[in-house]
Amino acid sequence: MNSLVKPELLSHGTIECSDLAATRRFLTEFLGIDVVRPLPEAQYLWKGGPWSVVCVCVPDSEAKEQGPQNRFKLSVPRAADVDAAHAAALAQQSNYGIRKIEPVEESGGVRSFKLQDLNKHWWEITNLTQSYYDAIFAKAH
Amino acid sequence: MTVATMTAPATASHIKPTQLVSGTFVTTDLKRARRMCEELLGLECVEAEPGTLLIREQGHQPGGPLAGKPYWVLEAREVPTIETPQEMLNHWGVFVTSQAAVDDAFEKINAQQKDFGLGRVQKPRFRHGSYAFYFVDGDSNWWEIEYRTPDLLYTALREKGDQH
Repeated sequence: MNSLVKPELLSHGTIECSDLAATRRFLTEFLGIDVVRPLPEAQYLWKGGPWSVVCVCVPDSEAKEQGPQNRFKLSVPRAADVDAAHAAALAQQSNYGIRKIEPVEESGGVRSFKLQDLNKHWWEITNLTQSYYDAIFAKAH
Repeated sequence: MTVATMTAPATASHIKPTQLVSGTFVTTDLKRARRMCEELLGLECVEAEPGTLLIREQGHQPGGPLAGKPYWVLEAREVPTIETPQEMLNHWGVFVTSQAAVDDAFEKINAQQKDFGLGRVQKPRFRHGSYAFYFVDGDSNWWEIEYRTPDLLYTALREKGDQH
């Protein structure tokens, strides 16, 4: 297809935070995401690929609350890992400032739950992996 | 891309994910979103089920140059209304291969702003070592077309570690 843009990579998404240190603690200690801080006002997150999520520090009054329809999905190996993650979220909710924890759901063999973090962003923990997407894209070819 | 493709699960964290596998956004018109992603952004799209579009960069199909490598998926879901309008700091980034490619993309997108139902298209500028511009689509989703020199690629910055 002769598109207007010739992209090399779908490179990044973005989130906001109002406390870089507390956010990093949540991301690394709780979610298990890798983090590096190349700029005073931003840290970059990643797990398992060349793409990143840019986390930009903004004043608390400017941090916007996101809805669960705008979220990032983190893949864990097994359905049991989703349940363990959910239990950990409940146990550590106050420790990491987790605002909301949704119940675990299962649909078509995919088990998952969503949580809203200290910065009002939503994360989904799921046993959906890239192979799930591989199968869907393969059907289209 | 030289970076390791899949990382081992973290050992000390409460959750031990293997991959940041996708991000999600919403649209009130899935056909419009698909046309923008395919014809404007040059991304591969497939409708996974009615009302849900999966998006990734080109080249991961069997026999393609990126076949077998990890990729990130954007999931777009069609909704009646946008309940949480997005702003510029909540955007999706697309890398291109040169500064000239950013300028070329800006000229083309700016010229077809109305055709794709876009909102504001900002002019390219240098910021933190990248050269990029932003535009907003008809659903308030912001997109960045970005070029970075090799030493400032996200993967290169990981290897440098914390600078602050």
